[in-house]
Amino acid sequence: MDTQATSVLNRIIRRIPNKNIENLLKKWSCLSADQLRALDYTRPKWMIVEHVISFCEENRLNLKHITTLEMIYHIENPDQGTWHACQLAEAQDDAVCVELTQFKEQFKAHLHGVIRHISIKMKKHEDEAIWIRIAWGDNFSKPNHLKPTYVVHHLHTSYVFISNLMAKHKIFLCPALVIATKHGSIKDGHLSTRSLTAMRDLPLRRYQQVNHQGSPNPCIGKEHGDHEEMRHQMSCEAFGHSPSPKLETAVYRLETRYRGKGNQTLSDRKEFFRGVVRFSSSSLLDSLRHCVASGMAEGPVTPLLSAITQRGRNYFVITDKGPGVSSQASAQRP
Amino acid sequence: QIFFLLFFWLGVFLFIMEGRGSAVNTPASRPLTRRSKSYGRSCVEAPSYFWQTPGHLTVLKVPTSRGAAKSQLITNKVDPEHIALLVKNEWKLSYVTPLHHFRHTQLKSYSRHLAAFIAAEKQQGVAVEVGLEAGFKVTFTAVLGLAETDEDAETVFIQIQSKPAFAAAADAPKVVWRGWLTCVNGDPEYLRSLPSDFVSLPLFCTSGSESLTTLVKTWLERAFDCNFGSLALNSTTLNWLAALWTGCHPTCNIRHLKLAWSLPTQPPLDVSYTVNPQDAWELWNSIHPEESTDDKIDIKEVQSFINGLETHFFRHFKIYLSAGTLVKVSTALGSAHLDGKIKIGNSDYITTLLTLLTESALLKMPT
Repeated sequence: MDTQATSVLNRIIRRIPNKNIENLLKKWSCLSADQLRALDYTRPKWMIVEHVISFCEENRLNLKHITTLEMIYHIENPDQGTWHACQLAEAQDDAVCVELTQFKEQFKAHLHGVIRHISIKMKKHEDEAIWIRIAWGDNFSKPNHLKPTYVVHHLHTSYVFISNLMAKHKIFLCPALVIATKHGSIKDGHLSTRSLTAMRDLPLRRYQQVNHQGSPNPCIGKEHGDHEEMRHQMSCEAFGHSPSPKLETAVYRLETRYRGKGNQTLSDRKEFFRGVVRFSSSSLLDSLRHCVASGMAEGPVTPLLSAITQRGRNYFVITDKGPGVSSQASAQRP
Repeated sequence: QIFFLLFFWLGVFLFIMEGRGSAVNTPASRPLTRRSKSYGRSCVEAPSYFWQTPGHLTVLKVPTSRGAAKSQLITNKVDPEHIALLVKNEWKLSYVTPLHHFRHTQLKSYSRHLAAFIAAEKQQGVAVEVGLEAGFKVTFTAVLGLAETDEDAETVFIQIQSKPAFAAAADAPKVVWRGWLTCVNGDPEYLRSLPSDFVSLPLFCTSGSESLTTLVKTWLERAFDCNFGSLALNSTTLNWLAALWTGCHPTCNIRHLKLAWSLPTQPPLDVSYTVNPQDAWELWNSIHPEESTDDKIDIKEVQSFINGLETHFFRHFKIYLSAGTLVKVSTALGSAHLDGKIKIGNSDYITTLLTLLTESALLKMPT
């Protein structure tokens, strides 16, 4: 096995807790049952790594096998690194007819046509998601397997989720996706988070957003109870129910006129009062929901905040042009 | 061991001297508070005569107005090498009561005693972290020029370096801990009311491991009969800093005004609002015009400034930032956190920041 293969293998095994290594290796099914039994997971990591490397060499495994292992690891542990969403637009008439084999062929063909050295691996997961792993090289150097890009796409949806893509490779990946899915263009989805699950659930609306018909708290007086109930309802409508998709941040670039009170000179100003607001929390939607439900935010929920769930994004540029959220495709990375 | 004994006898000597000279100064009530810690031997600490902070702290009032931040080429007054020690580190703040019999002329002696103390504590098994040092080198330096008024005492900087056990002779010792005691624009009435054998350096800034900080504080407490306490900042101080720093923008690019709030939601929500510096300045200038002949800024103007920002935020997000707590303020000139942590970004306005912090330290002291 070459150095790249051992480096990649080393990195995978170092990342996961020892107790999960066995499962991963079993799913991989590249080591024999005897070899798996021979591994002692109570040993220090470096020992386990060495054992696995020696088994791999025994079985004459190579980089291809190792990258499969890495892919399995990422599919099993999707909430790592930072995922960014992109949105496909201008679907052609036959976009809905695109099949998996077609997609795969077109995607690979395009990339192989523009880059001499590139390594593409595709795998369809049981939940219908297509996982793509790309190790980028260029016309002169071999693919770098230590910095692969991962792409996840559900066929016939308009969203593509990307992790670890360098700016210089974007110009290759985007056309490949557009062509393979039979769309006209792709743009920044203005959504980024650590959790791929959240990334999928949010724009694809895979979580409950309807009114909660629970019974009101009997301890609160009727009128007060009504207000509570109303706030609770508002908060759930805007931000969904627990458990919410795990978003960590939302960023708003404000380019609006000053709206603070009492300041005539400033309010008359034509220029914008510029700033950037960043909300962060270990679970942003839960925090915002609580904010509204507890009265720390006034209802009705401003469209700026409900846009997070309504439009499935967490980066916004807010200008004075018209009400609500303007979807500025200024496409600046948050 | 010899150092320790020397120190012990020195302590006893000082104790005897104290007893003789302080008859005039001792307060009417004299509780003998024996500190429970003994030093591993049968010696006993000098009982504290000064359990009450000496001087008249009750004269201190929270100021409702103050002068605008003045830029000064601090390097004209203070050695640039000293300035470099203070800038760019994150400092944890404490207040300390006046130091009894502290002499700026004895710094070398203090260096030796503190080093001996740390070595002795380490021998006793007090955890000092950082494994294999053979010893510590302690340096007390006077940082001249930070003091603003005649009543301010000069700043004292303490540095602890570790000497690794097996290092080559050429290896530079590593700095493992830094701290400084300072007093900038301390309330003159209060400072004048202190008995003459007391030095007030109420603000203590530290950077390094907690264990070393505790050791240094313990030594200072015993050597100078003082008390330390943690200095958390309050939101008023943070508000002042936001306004004062913003006011500096014309002369010194503050790059941004960043305010961070924490809201008590479940889980907690952090909101940070980074305002364009020119726009922040225009807002501040509309409240407190630059051309006003009156150099004084009123607290109401500061509150108006912060309210303006909170209201602009509210109009967009409908969230009451006042339901949360302002936790941190930062600009290129520095940052200040509610927990009592600061960073000095630019030395030009260091006096403004230290004046506010000295004031907070004096106000926090137990009366």
